[in-house]
Amino acid sequence: MATYRLNRDSDLIDNPSPRCACMLVLDTSASMFGEPMRELNAGVQSFIAAIQEDDMAACSVELGVITAGGHVTEQLPFTTAMNISQCRQFTASGMTPLGEAMELALDRLDARTAAYRQAGVAYYQPWLVVISDGVPTDAWERVAARSRALAQQRKTVVIPVGVEEADLEALSAFSSRPAKRLDGLKFREFFQWLSASMSRVSASASTTEQVRLPPTDSWDSI
Amino acid sequence: MDSLGKARQLGQRLASGGEGEIFALRGRADVIVKWYYPEVLEKRGELLHRKVEAMRELRDSQTTQDVCWPLIRVFDHQHRWIGFAMYRAQGVKMGCLAHTLLYARHFPNLDRRQIVGYLLRYIEIVQQLHRAGICIGDYNLNNVFCVPRSDSVTLIDCDSYQLRVGGTFYPCPVGSPDMTPKEHQGKAFRDIVRTPRSEAFSLAIVLFKCLMLGRHPYDIVGGGDPVRNLRRGNFAYGRGQRSVPQGDWYALWQALPNEVQEHFITTFIDGADNPGQRTTLSQWHEALTAYREQLESGECRRELIVASGKVGGRAQSVR
Repeated sequence: MATYRLNRDSDLIDNPSPRCACMLVLDTSASMFGEPMRELNAGVQSFIAAIQEDDMAACSVELGVITAGGHVTEQLPFTTAMNISQCRQFTASGMTPLGEAMELALDRLDARTAAYRQAGVAYYQPWLVVISDGVPTDAWERVAARSRALAQQRKTVVIPVGVEEADLEALSAFSSRPAKRLDGLKFREFFQWLSASMSRVSASASTTEQVRLPPTDSWDSI
Repeated sequence: MDSLGKARQLGQRLASGGEGEIFALRGRADVIVKWYYPEVLEKRGELLHRKVEAMRELRDSQTTQDVCWPLIRVFDHQHRWIGFAMYRAQGVKMGCLAHTLLYARHFPNLDRRQIVGYLLRYIEIVQQLHRAGICIGDYNLNNVFCVPRSDSVTLIDCDSYQLRVGGTFYPCPVGSPDMTPKEHQGKAFRDIVRTPRSEAFSLAIVLFKCLMLGRHPYDIVGGGDPVRNLRRGNFAYGRGQRSVPQGDWYALWQALPNEVQEHFITTFIDGADNPGQRTTLSQWHEALTAYREQLESGECRRELIVASGKVGGRAQSVR
């Protein structure tokens, strides 16, 4: 069951930290059933726990989760990490409507950054992480171009990650950087890297400069 | 290994940053070691080594006490220089003090008098460095440690400072645009020569963020990012109070004495373009000393909580 607290608008008023929006788009189609799904769930849980342990990151990182498994579901609207009390477990089923999921993710990111500007809240470049073990089963080329353009203009950091037999070429189309393949099912290592990256971004005094990220060799395969 | 070739064992990794990692030293709880990443050493290890050596020459009793100054060279087992050892700073990052939702957890019973006390001490340490010809350059609240329930302040991450030793100039090669004055924006940090005027601007941002519990002076509603606002001298408080972020921020601003407000207005509006207009460190010291007296005499309120009781008051109820 979902036990998220409501995404309180007062948060943008009372919390002066610059924000780093981090949207996870997760492929939860039937092929993720079993071990991959269990590891993905554990990875997301450990990610939230790690962010919450770091005061600065807990006040800065706003996490959103959208799943694509049969249909597209917004599992978690953008919520500041310190206000996430528990995270639901995702289950695997159906096809992979990744195009529709990415479209929704980009719309949500647009709306969130507009809300930041309206509240006078500074923000770091938002992050969009997309994880898939296959190929999108809906139309995805147009949204891929939209996503890639944002990455090229440095308006969004887009991180595509392929699992097992994923089509890395299709995933790479979403970003200005090539998709990386997860080594086995090292979801936990990937999310450790992501939380370390978030900690580094939120510790930075700069909302406009690139931050040096930790190496990815703990989770990617060459 | 230390400089005498004696093998020492590193303890736990305490932090990792952009240039290297910080480790504890086994058997010496008061000492930590900065170990630069191999790729950083490969790229500019020689320059770093020379700079750290120059800093060791400059040390005096005051810089080693108030600033985590490089004290001892550290080598790997092949006798290659990899970093240095320094004293470990006590306390909590100033970034946790300058935050509406975090200060209550780290600084119980914090009041304005204590904040002003830390800031005065901070200004004094920076003035002491300036007298030695050293500039901070990379201003960052996470590089300032404050000890709760005392007025003790220590600066860390000082191997980036700008200094001149024996005719050699060592720039501060890092920084962040959000804390950098207009005349230095858009340039590579290693090519910038920091001045007392540029330092005064960055320091004023630190003071503002502490007194305003985390708000950046150039956070404004509907504007661009803080850097764009900074370049335009777009400061929302003071004259006209336009585009102040929603919430109780204006009430926090109003709690400041007029003289302190005027220094911020002059520095962030007129001083954005004209470095000569910026409040100097000694002027800040004078204004904040007066403010501390007003807080002690009861002329100004010590509590952080403002009229509506939201900012500050809320912090108690969040996790």
